[in-house]
Amino acid sequence: MLSKLMNLDRRVIFIFVALAVIIPTLLPLNLPINVSEPTQRIYDYIDALPAGSTIMISFDYGPSSLPELNPMAKAVLRHCFDKDVRVIGMTLYAFAPTLADTLITEVAEEADAVNGEDYVFLGFRPGGEQVMLRMGISIGSVFEKDYTNTPLTEISMMKDITNYDQIDLILDLASGSTTDLWITYVNGKYNQQIAAGVTGVIVSNMYPYLQTKQLVGLMPGYLGASEYEKLIGVPEKGTQGINNASPVHVLILGLVIIGNIVFFIQRRREE
Amino acid sequence: MEIFGIWIAAFLTLCIYSFLYKDNPFYRFAEHLFVGMSVGYGIVLSVHQGFIPFAWEPFWAAVKPFWPGVPREAGWSGLWKLIPIGVGLLFFSGVSPRHTWLIRYPTAILIGFGAGLSIPNVLRANIFEQTRGTVEPFASVHAGTLSGWGIFEAVLMVAGVICTLTYFFFSVEHRGPLKWISKVGIAFLMIGFGSAFGNTVMGRVALLIQRVDFLINDWIGTIF
Amino acid sequence: MKRQVPLVLCFLFGVVMCFTQFSPHSFSQSIYDEVVYWALIMSPFALAVGTITLIQTHVIRIRRRTEHWQYSFVVFAGLLTMVAIGLPFGPQHPAFAWLFNNVQVPLDATMFSLLAFLIASAAFRAFRARTFEASLLLISAMIVLIGNVPVGDLIWNTVLSWLPWDNGASEARQWILGNPNLSARRGIILGVSLGVISQAIRLILGIERSYIGGGD
Repeated sequence: MLSKLMNLDRRVIFIFVALAVIIPTLLPLNLPINVSEPTQRIYDYIDALPAGSTIMISFDYGPSSLPELNPMAKAVLRHCFDKDVRVIGMTLYAFAPTLADTLITEVAEEADAVNGEDYVFLGFRPGGEQVMLRMGISIGSVFEKDYTNTPLTEISMMKDITNYDQIDLILDLASGSTTDLWITYVNGKYNQQIAAGVTGVIVSNMYPYLQTKQLVGLMPGYLGASEYEKLIGVPEKGTQGINNASPVHVLILGLVIIGNIVFFIQRRREE
Repeated sequence: MEIFGIWIAAFLTLCIYSFLYKDNPFYRFAEHLFVGMSVGYGIVLSVHQGFIPFAWEPFWAAVKPFWPGVPREAGWSGLWKLIPIGVGLLFFSGVSPRHTWLIRYPTAILIGFGAGLSIPNVLRANIFEQTRGTVEPFASVHAGTLSGWGIFEAVLMVAGVICTLTYFFFSVEHRGPLKWISKVGIAFLMIGFGSAFGNTVMGRVALLIQRVDFLINDWIGTIF
Repeated sequence: MKRQVPLVLCFLFGVVMCFTQFSPHSFSQSIYDEVVYWALIMSPFALAVGTITLIQTHVIRIRRRTEHWQYSFVVFAGLLTMVAIGLPFGPQHPAFAWLFNNVQVPLDATMFSLLAFLIASAAFRAFRARTFEASLLLISAMIVLIGNVPVGDLIWNTVLSWLPWDNGASEARQWILGNPNLSARRGIILGVSLGVISQAIRLILGIERSYIGGGD
């Protein structure tokens, strides 16, 4: 019986996982969400910025991290437009421009934000740290035109922005190692304030930077997105997602516990 | 067109999920299409957002003054920019086996650049700042502003960092007290890796939820 | 020419980049600006290397008729479709964005979502508390796993309502991430950073020269 359980066809487990996702999608849960301190720190920082301030959002993720990072981006953009904080979007990741452009345009339309005045999307440039360092000298020398090929000199909100000196916060939405680069090369060299929203995979790596305040704050994956949505009072995909994730997490926890109980029973029998 | 797009996306999503039953031609088709489209997307973005602004436009600006009929206003200074463009072009020498060695030039420049860049910045951001973060809580202990629990956490942090570093210290054989210190380091690492696992599950489940949400609400929503 | 020049170039660029960052003098800063600009101009070319290698791999697969070679045509079909639309009309073109949103996004997202199933299966079969260290890993993983979702606090507040503190699941998760995890990660960051610096010095001085490869 026990060995049968342990040799269960993995497709049976797959069916359980599928059910644990499909059922809450059909019958959504609505559980209370508690905001963690790292997300609160980003919200507080942006909330305290005066109207007319500028934040730069680096969309360093592709479709494989879209469900975690798009809701974060959406929530932060809404918060910025609501506070009249100007947004400069850009990316160091080749697979992000279409995603980021679509998202910014969508949120801007909702908030009646005007391209070129309230926000601008600069697009992608290859080079990672070279791009970061060169923007410290002049953003216009890296991005001479925005994503729609409008020269930066013709964009009204870019007229008084030369480099990081005129940017109040950089928010890196990352699925890879770009946050480390922003911290190392931009926070370290230019004392620029950096915040991050990252995928679950790299959340744990970011905590040393939070404690040293090299990161203003941190949004951890789906959870961070749901927390930020709660803070701005617009529950959306992040909130829905983290609620729907609950049964799968409980299922995996249950599978591990069952697996270990069987393991200990088998080991005792062998002894 | 929107509904057609949703059906295409749903078909491809199901092609990939068919792998959960077993490997099959639908999965292989979708997998190879994914590779091809990703590379195609990468090429387009690299050309339009990389080559054109960084290579073609500086190149054109440099040679334009020497073009017949164009007034020579810019002078010779722009030609300086042709050197990095020329060196960058050596990356393409990989297509010819006889000339592959030329790829060493741009590689060496970028490696030298990266190495020189990293020394001061990594020192500042990762060594000095992280060391400061480790000892800083003790300033609060000294000032008497830290609670008993805060002091425990500060001591735990220093102990954790020292033990973890000891585990990575391979120059001396781990015997006696060093062995026990490194064992404590392993314990800290295990807790760290465990937390990474817990967070990774959240990330992967997020993707699954988004796809199921798409299939149920967007795709099936077009049928009913 | 084939080995010495790259070593000299690596040394020169490394030394210049390193020392210009310590000097605020305008001459030093202008050199720094120029070198960063050079590296920036060269960076898009480096992207070509991966593409060339992938194309070569699939051409060889088709030529040698290796297993599933027919699918290499699918790779080229996808690649050429994107390039044929994207190169002349730009990535902002609606057809290019349509292909990206309706073909590439679902493929990419679904491919990685398979891992959710595989993680669940692996957790059931292989995640065992065999040793003390493995038990620590397991316990920490389970606390973070349940603390990451709101149901964790719901269970805590319902089942353990007699305890003096609320929301224990998310609090415990936060404590693990902010304390023992932080120490371990900091140890890794310090260790890796020391390694990066020593490797950088070896590269600049030409002691480490594996990037040159074998041969002349």
